[in-house]
Amino acid sequence: MFPAAAIQVFTTQLPPALMSNLDSPSERLRQRFLHNPLLQRRQLLKYGLAGLGLTTASLAWQQLQPKPTARIPIVPANSPMMGNSFSPMQTLRDFDYGTVKQENGRTVREFKLVAGNTTLQLNTAVSFNSWNFNGRVPAPTLRAKAGELIRVSFLNRAGHSHSMHFHGFHPAAMDGIKPIRNGTGMIYEFEADPYGVHLYHCHVAPVTRHVGKGLYGMLIIDPPEARPVADELVLIMGGYDINDDGKNELYAFNGVPDYYMMHPIEIYQHQLVRLYVLNMIEIDPAVTFHLHANMFDVYPTGMTLKPSHTSDVITMGTAERHILEFKFKYPGEFMFHPHQDLIAENGCMGAFKVISAT
Amino acid sequence: MNVKKYLGVAIVACVASVVISACNNTTKIAETSSTTAPAATAPAAEMAGMNHGGGKKININSAILSELDKLEAKLGVPALSNKIQAERPYKAPEDLVAKKVIDQKQFDQIKDLVTIEDVVLTGVEKDADYMVKLGLMKGHLFVARELLDLKKPKDAEPHIGHPVEEIYTDVADQLNERKVKEFKTTLISLEDLVKAGAKDNNKVTTNFKESMVSIDTAIAAIPATQRKDPKFVLQVINGLLDTANSEYGASIADGKFKAAIEYQDSRGFITYVNMLYKEIAAGMEKDQPATHKIVVDNLKQLTTAWPAAMPPATPVKTVAEVGQLIKTIEQNTQKVITVAAK
Repeated sequence: MFPAAAIQVFTTQLPPALMSNLDSPSERLRQRFLHNPLLQRRQLLKYGLAGLGLTTASLAWQQLQPKPTARIPIVPANSPMMGNSFSPMQTLRDFDYGTVKQENGRTVREFKLVAGNTTLQLNTAVSFNSWNFNGRVPAPTLRAKAGELIRVSFLNRAGHSHSMHFHGFHPAAMDGIKPIRNGTGMIYEFEADPYGVHLYHCHVAPVTRHVGKGLYGMLIIDPPEARPVADELVLIMGGYDINDDGKNELYAFNGVPDYYMMHPIEIYQHQLVRLYVLNMIEIDPAVTFHLHANMFDVYPTGMTLKPSHTSDVITMGTAERHILEFKFKYPGEFMFHPHQDLIAENGCMGAFKVISAT
Repeated sequence: MNVKKYLGVAIVACVASVVISACNNTTKIAETSSTTAPAATAPAAEMAGMNHGGGKKININSAILSELDKLEAKLGVPALSNKIQAERPYKAPEDLVAKKVIDQKQFDQIKDLVTIEDVVLTGVEKDADYMVKLGLMKGHLFVARELLDLKKPKDAEPHIGHPVEEIYTDVADQLNERKVKEFKTTLISLEDLVKAGAKDNNKVTTNFKESMVSIDTAIAAIPATQRKDPKFVLQVINGLLDTANSEYGASIADGKFKAAIEYQDSRGFITYVNMLYKEIAAGMEKDQPATHKIVVDNLKQLTTAWPAAMPPATPVKTVAEVGQLIKTIEQNTQKVITVAAK
């Protein structure tokens, strides 16, 4: 359990559906209006005058310079939780942009993460004692722009010692190797560098168990010039050793096994989809990511602006991650999964439901 | 940016550094002259302490309730101290407003009294923090010993590993400072032996003893008067209890033990809590008879939750029951600790 204070930061975020893919809240608001003009009035009322000023300015700009926009299906706020305190349907498009501050002309993004323990309902038969950040597995997807300063306040309320180790460039003191004892905390501060898809996880040994229990999440650092507009989705593969026997018995995309098989992810036909994919499966050395009936462009580690190649299968070792982009030519349901089929069949499986563009 | 504020900000959420009787002259404040130090290379200095050096400012990240009461009294806001504690950690004093703990007007009245700047742990607080870490190590080893005696080296292995993996690096600087001989090598060789199946019983016993002696030697670096002071020992006990509480919670799902490791960790900590309390029991009975009775009763009940080194088929106590017993002990002993701090 973690204190209410920890949750507060995240509930003050805009709803996940608004967090499609642009940098600032006003940009994101503008996006939303364009997808769904009917919401405009209600949203304006909700977000108040400050939002109105910015939004009006953006809209004026928009009229002069039409930009392509992403079609993103509305995700109902009450998407199924399957017995958990979070919904993988929300996790998909939920980007935590932190609290933004300006310090000496520099943008600082502050994030708050609390390590705690919660019971996860992996399926109707299996409950699992997870260790996690902010009560969810995977942890919140933190997002910043290259060159900004990231400041993470970390509090450990989880019994064991934990830490936060970020991938990317940072000084040794910020490497998150030092265990932070239960009841104490640490502030990690480093520049958002380099741009790409990164990750963070607890680095206390045995790391296999600390990660396997759920202490991992994604860190996206956007390039200085935003990528083309797309429907952006986060998919993180994880494994569960439910009986501490050193083998994974269950697997999942975004924490809950088979969730997206039971609740396929809606996307639009012909719409550019940008997947941020991370493999956080411990114990098994590597898995692939395979998409049915399509080919995707690969941006390795998200560190390029041009794709390196195109495929429908990509191999990822633990902690490896990429940006994959694609559009669906045909409507209908299409699966995605690692092509280690035993792993897929033990929970690491999902489907896109492609909605006809017309 | 204002680098100096972030020198490993102390976030003391619970009990470990609750006492501020260390209001002594050796307390150092993070120097304001350190503006040239890059924040990112700041030491991950652990926690806490009070800004008692020059300005007598109150560190809102680490101050205990009685200290925060000064702010409560000044502003006349009921239960403000608890609210301040509940919203930790703060990255800047202004967060008190940002987090809606108080409003801007109220903040203006107290802004010169509060700080979030880190201080180097000293005195009692530093000793308590150090002793909690070593106590956790001992707890892990106690339960490891039991499991080895049950001829379960595989089950013992994580508990031999935890002192090295989770704690040693965290306490290494303090061991150096206190001129305690390095004993990581000893712990690692014990871990290696157990990982290899603990086949040579004599060797395991010898290494185990050596590891325990090393930890006891490290504890002996704390002045004896301190180690025997009930107020100090109670602080350490609360640090251990809080950790045991979290781990016990992480061992049960659906009313059954699902993670034996966390059950065992918490058993080890409770074993050491009982040993520590025994040493101060006589003094407590004499000076604090009411609190003594509560602690003894609750501790006795609490201990029944861990009937053996291997978890029972059904938990003796629910997570909520264990949490309640621990809370009762913490709250009652807190009174003793806080009074002492004043």
